[in-house]
Amino acid sequence: MVYLDNAATTPMDAEVVERVHESMRDIFANSGTRYRIGLDAKRLIEKSTELIAEYLGIPSTHRIVFTSGGTESNNLFIKGLCFPDKKTAFLGLEHPSITESLAFLQQFGNEPFSLLPFQTEGRLDLNSVSTLKEKRVKLLCLSHVNNELGTVNEPLQIISALANESPQTKLFLDGVQAVGKLKLDRDMWRGLAGYSISGHKIHGPKGIGLLIYDSKLVLNPQMHGGKQQFGVRSGTLPVPLIVGLETAIKHAVMQTEQTQKHLQDLCRHLVQGLKNMQERLPELRIRFNSLVDEDVTRQSPGMVNFSFPPVEGEVILHHLEAKDIFVGLGSACSAQSREPSKILMGIGLSEEQARCSLRISFSHNNTTDEIDRFLEAFAEAYRALYSTFLQKADHR
Amino acid sequence: MTERRTVLIRYDEIGLKGRNRKFFEKCLLRNIKRVLSSGTDDIVYRSPRGRIFLDIPSSFAPECTVRLKSVPGIASFSIGISMEPDFDAMAELGIQWIEPRLKSGRDAMKFCVKTRRSAKSFPKTSPEVNFEVGSRIMTKLSPRGLTVNIKEAEYVLEIEIGSSETVVFDNREPGLRGLPVGSSGNVLCLLSGGIDSPVSAFMMACRGCRVHFVFFDNQPFLGRGGYDKVLILAKKINHFQTRGTLFVVPFQDVQAAIRDHCNEENRVVLYRRMMYRIAAEIADRQGSLALVTGESLGQVASQTLENLAAVSCVTSVSVFRPLIGMNKESIISRAKEIGTYETSIEPQPDCCSVFMPKNPATRSKIPFLERDEEKIPWKELCDDALAKVEIIKVDDL
Repeated sequence: MVYLDNAATTPMDAEVVERVHESMRDIFANSGTRYRIGLDAKRLIEKSTELIAEYLGIPSTHRIVFTSGGTESNNLFIKGLCFPDKKTAFLGLEHPSITESLAFLQQFGNEPFSLLPFQTEGRLDLNSVSTLKEKRVKLLCLSHVNNELGTVNEPLQIISALANESPQTKLFLDGVQAVGKLKLDRDMWRGLAGYSISGHKIHGPKGIGLLIYDSKLVLNPQMHGGKQQFGVRSGTLPVPLIVGLETAIKHAVMQTEQTQKHLQDLCRHLVQGLKNMQERLPELRIRFNSLVDEDVTRQSPGMVNFSFPPVEGEVILHHLEAKDIFVGLGSACSAQSREPSKILMGIGLSEEQARCSLRISFSHNNTTDEIDRFLEAFAEAYRALYSTFLQKADHR
Repeated sequence: MTERRTVLIRYDEIGLKGRNRKFFEKCLLRNIKRVLSSGTDDIVYRSPRGRIFLDIPSSFAPECTVRLKSVPGIASFSIGISMEPDFDAMAELGIQWIEPRLKSGRDAMKFCVKTRRSAKSFPKTSPEVNFEVGSRIMTKLSPRGLTVNIKEAEYVLEIEIGSSETVVFDNREPGLRGLPVGSSGNVLCLLSGGIDSPVSAFMMACRGCRVHFVFFDNQPFLGRGGYDKVLILAKKINHFQTRGTLFVVPFQDVQAAIRDHCNEENRVVLYRRMMYRIAAEIADRQGSLALVTGESLGQVASQTLENLAAVSCVTSVSVFRPLIGMNKESIISRAKEIGTYETSIEPQPDCCSVFMPKNPATRSKIPFLERDEEKIPWKELCDDALAKVEIIKVDDL
């Protein structure tokens, strides 16, 4: 099997599986109880929290809250901070867990300010930051790494622009696609109001994530109960998942540099392979939707998104699937929708270009041989399907 | 309080079946036994003329209600208590049931007693039984506000006096009606992942047919999502009948040949002609006497009168279209009732957009279709698809 959809989810690392299993077997007590085995569970959570803070360089000014994943973290921070009337802004190219949280606030008259006219290459144009002051925006919500394109909103640049142009605007970043691919600069925490992380995107378990936020902020809980985790997120803590997440973060952070280099090699190999294919197949016209750029302040090396009209991405996807090769169409969370990707349309692609696209996303497990297998199968499928789709396009 | 309950099952259409009646009753009893046996083996079955009685543990009554509602052929059923036809005992039971339901105040509840007496040897007539039992209940409960009102009764105590037993009950659950599955033979339903075809399959099951299914698969143009969805739908319909078989036909080569060689506007009707031919062959091999489809006149381009005629003529096998005169809203509400709607609306396409024409013909002419078919080796394509059919026993899913 060739798995090239690591932005949707990743397989768990062996050590993560082992630690989750071990903890499931041995540490079952409720960490909120007062007897020894409960205190052991509590101690393990505290240790994992400390280690996570250490790996990610999170200062003591910020709180770490365990959630069920990126979606919950984004909901908790945005709704918890901005309900009912704190003014928000976003680029319009974020994951649905951000855009839908903002849409929820909109029902109460709190309309978010869209910066979509100011996007360039799927990233925030820093020149637009001054408009946030005019609009009295209290919270700017962005993806650190865009989940379909891999383009990067560089935290330090945005933080500095905000400090100069709109100091009352706080910054929240969805970091789900960034950890393990980009080196997180420890200085970024000083300017970040909140940041979210998901376990399963970094070879950790599903069902666990983090919200890291400035402890000066008051978040209204979205779930009420036993007041665990500063009363912000009630619910008995899942020790095995927390231990698994800590292990996954350890690997992701420790190996970021090495992973980055490996992913860049894969990326280069894929892009070159597609360019060569274009020369061999005169009917193939590829448009790279993500940046073909090795500057990691602009583009994550883990993702390549490209269009190839007139052949539809979904049909190619199933032809590749028949050869045991798995690729992405776009955000897995919106894959239920038959509509073309809002992100691709948002950066100016036509509906056809958006439909005729694939997202390839790598992990440290992938090899150049796998990319070659993908390229070969892609070329074969494209050749087989081209005339059919050309007919279809002609009839339009 | 007794720990046993009696279920009184009524059927309607079987009652009209003359000399075949025994056969239909046997079918229904067999289906009821099949549905209930996995719930408990502590059931005594009796089938005096015109009724089926079950003697069940009282704890099984709620589960029994749910299960009987999935058996075609049952008109309605009631769960009550069997007893001797003794007026005092029947009134005592009525009082026990009515008392906890009485509201406070003068007009606490309107009630009546209704008797059906199939044992004509019983010394009292039905109205007399109503009076005997009703007056005893009134003596006890009229001071608490119980009144008799036959037309607007809020509570009806029913008594059925048969030759072998008397049952007292206060509930009637509607059944699916129709005929028991197995009484009308086998049919083969062209099942897509949509809303309509599962409803038509269900309707044929309620006419006594055992419905088998055929699905035309589009992989690898589409993913396995459509296939998985059809497995769930087949399982849901099979719940009303059991022993259905699903035939999965790889259809992509047939579609690709039509798409590449035939007139674009004729594609959909040509696909359906091929589907009918393949389905008719499967039906013949497997012993189904008719095809069933979810077509409804004029609903989409392929379902105009002309196109239906152009499709039907490729086979001599009967084609049943139970939904032909229904509108979409009625079909949707039926799909919701039988529990297939939620699965049907999952966004899994049943045909890849690349196969669909921009402007499908709404009034296809058969000679033109035949001319189109001459351009492709359709017999070989059908044979090839038939050779690759996957056969799935739906009970095993």
